[in-house]
Amino acid sequence: MVLAYSRPFWPLFLHVLGAMTLFGAILAAVILSGAAWRAPDRAYLRKATFWALVSGIPAYIVLRVGAQWIYSNEGFSGKDDPTWIGIGFAVSDAGLLLLLASIGCAYWWQRSGRPLAGRIVAGLSCLYLALLAVAWLAMSGKWG
Amino acid sequence: MTTVQWLLMLHISAAFFFVGGSVAAAILNTLAVRAERPSETASLLRLVRVTLPIIGIGVAGTLIFGIWLWHELDFGLDAWWIWASLVLWVIANALGGIGGRHQERSRKLAEQLATAGDTSTDELRALLRDPKGNAMSWLAGLATLAILVLMIWKPGS
Repeated sequence: MVLAYSRPFWPLFLHVLGAMTLFGAILAAVILSGAAWRAPDRAYLRKATFWALVSGIPAYIVLRVGAQWIYSNEGFSGKDDPTWIGIGFAVSDAGLLLLLASIGCAYWWQRSGRPLAGRIVAGLSCLYLALLAVAWLAMSGKWG
Repeated sequence: MTTVQWLLMLHISAAFFFVGGSVAAAILNTLAVRAERPSETASLLRLVRVTLPIIGIGVAGTLIFGIWLWHELDFGLDAWWIWASLVLWVIANALGGIGGRHQERSRKLAEQLATAGDTSTDELRALLRDPKGNAMSWLAGLATLAILVLMIWKPGS
């Protein structure tokens, strides 16, 4: 896993660790919501989906703090930033909304058991997983 | 994009699969340990299997694209941090395998109990919280974390 050159250790380490952990938490939520969708009688799967999503919050914070730390260290100003940074920030900001919306819907699903809530949770989690993949591809391949 | 950029992108993608898949498996395992009924434990431990192909792709990809990058970037055979990462990669996989077998034993017992009244027993609780079995999975996670540290730090390069 050769990840980067000539960057300070801690900010990049925290950013990458947070991103990978967040990906894992959302992956767990996708797996659980898929299983819960197929077996609506199993309430514990809905509860597990909720907690898997909640476990993504600390990972998101670590990812975001690391990102801002690197951004400040490297002297970017928001003017003429490379495309890959823009993609990273866009996914990060939209991702927070997606994560919070998923958690809210998962809570609603856990309490009500309504299939619509389950479909929304599964859809939002899958979308977030895909966006995270786009972000890491853009950032590791330095798109643009 | 240059060859190195492509390789770096594929290597990091594999790392996301490796670490992310392991985190997902750890979350499912933790939820299984905390479940109330054996049927719930068995069901959550069965879902851990879904993460295995993802981890497998990550494990293979990090090694293949990592060695390729080693060659492309001319790090040389004296780059001890790469050798240390390879050793840790082997350790992480070996310990993860042992931890996985422990989870499989727990799942089989939970499935047996689920069909026989679905009431938890001391044996299942002890197996799920077995410090030795769980230590293997945690140590595999620590070895993976150490690889990540070495890959970002790259001491001596």
